[in-house]
Amino acid sequence: MPLIRRDPPPPASPPPDSDLLATLADGSAEARFTAARALAGRRDAALALGAALQTEADGRVREAIFGSLVRTGGDEAVKALLPYLRAEDAGLRGGAINALSEIAAVASYLDALLSDADPDVRLLSCELVRRLPPSEATRLLCGLLDRETEANVCTAAAEVLAEVGEPNAEGTLQRCAARFSEHPFLSFAFKAAIARLSARG
Amino acid sequence: MVFTEAKRYFVERRVAERMTATGSGSFASYFARLRSDAGGEIEQFVNAFTVNETYFYREEHQLLCLSKNLLNERTMRRSATDPLRIWSAPCSTGEEPYSIAMWLLENWPAVDAWNIEILGSDIDTRVLEAATTGVYGRRALMRLSEDLIARYFRPAGDERWRLIEDIRGSVAFSPVNLVDDAQMRRFGAFDVIFCRNVLIYFDDASRRAAAENLYAALAPGGFICLGHTESMSRISPLFEVRRFDDAIVYQRPQEAAHG
Repeated sequence: MPLIRRDPPPPASPPPDSDLLATLADGSAEARFTAARALAGRRDAALALGAALQTEADGRVREAIFGSLVRTGGDEAVKALLPYLRAEDAGLRGGAINALSEIAAVASYLDALLSDADPDVRLLSCELVRRLPPSEATRLLCGLLDRETEANVCTAAAEVLAEVGEPNAEGTLQRCAARFSEHPFLSFAFKAAIARLSARG
Repeated sequence: MVFTEAKRYFVERRVAERMTATGSGSFASYFARLRSDAGGEIEQFVNAFTVNETYFYREEHQLLCLSKNLLNERTMRRSATDPLRIWSAPCSTGEEPYSIAMWLLENWPAVDAWNIEILGSDIDTRVLEAATTGVYGRRALMRLSEDLIARYFRPAGDERWRLIEDIRGSVAFSPVNLVDDAQMRRFGAFDVIFCRNVLIYFDDASRRAAAENLYAALAPGGFICLGHTESMSRISPLFEVRRFDDAIVYQRPQEAAHG
């Protein structure tokens, strides 16, 4: 019989705490991956995890860092991730958005993010609204649409609003459609969003 | 685990069952019992919510892929003294890990040249007890030929069959929670993991954690087989997609492949 049975060993002890941050900075890729995962849930390590993203080139270690920050959650994890909404590296930006979208504490930062001076940050932040309760998502996105001047940001907001918003967003979308009437694509996007909201109402 | 409004009846029924089983006169008293884990109630509660129905040779195309492609790839440039390790998680009442054992004995020509370890794990300790016992009804055997049933099972009462000792004794079982990295760390590196139809029950954060744990539990170049409706690509960028004739599986890249 080529099948052999080996019962699993007892639970392993976690890696020593004191070495984790040092390993995250200069260990092998395998060791950095393990250290990043072991730091999940440690709010005191969230900023160090975030800082490690600046120099981390290995994709799986980055993913482990994002995952650990999601599991840590809270303001510390949000603050560790927010700088990467402005990263030049699309992988870092995307990873940060995905991670932030899974952290409930990001909700209290959205008013500021949707008013950020950088239109790219406003655009990305529309995605973070997607998981809020419909009434809060509608308030935030309608507020943004009423003052937004960048067409791309408006399109992103309308897309999210169409999916998660409440029917009372229709007035805002109609005002926006009138404001951007010279852009056929935007008019189409707003009309589509209005149609979807109306269908739900 | 995530239960949407559509699962309300399922949830209510399971909670009512546990209230009856524990003699709780009200939800409040049951909830207090659950929160204090009196009499190990948390484990019983989890057991009540897990879905355990399966059968032998389910999703046979993946077993075909295992014997035609995955194991041959895993055994290239490798010493035969180095055991092949296969993990079925979750394994429910044992049909999957036992199917893997039977399938390899029947269908992998190189089976006698290798030592093969098969581990079955589940969060539900009740099903692990059933898996160890290895007694099954007609429905669990519906995909097996009469010849296979005759060779691998013995009658065990009315419409019940017990797997032979040779197979039962060659598969290890152990509880595990896929999102608990401390639990997952102890199992070491596997060549192939079958993790079918469980990630769909997790929320996004738990799916991400489970994917990382599964990645860490694979040897570099090791494979993971998901259920046919599941896609690791939508869960985690850690894995590479491999398309074989009979199945799409996911692979932990060799170490140098990350950048």
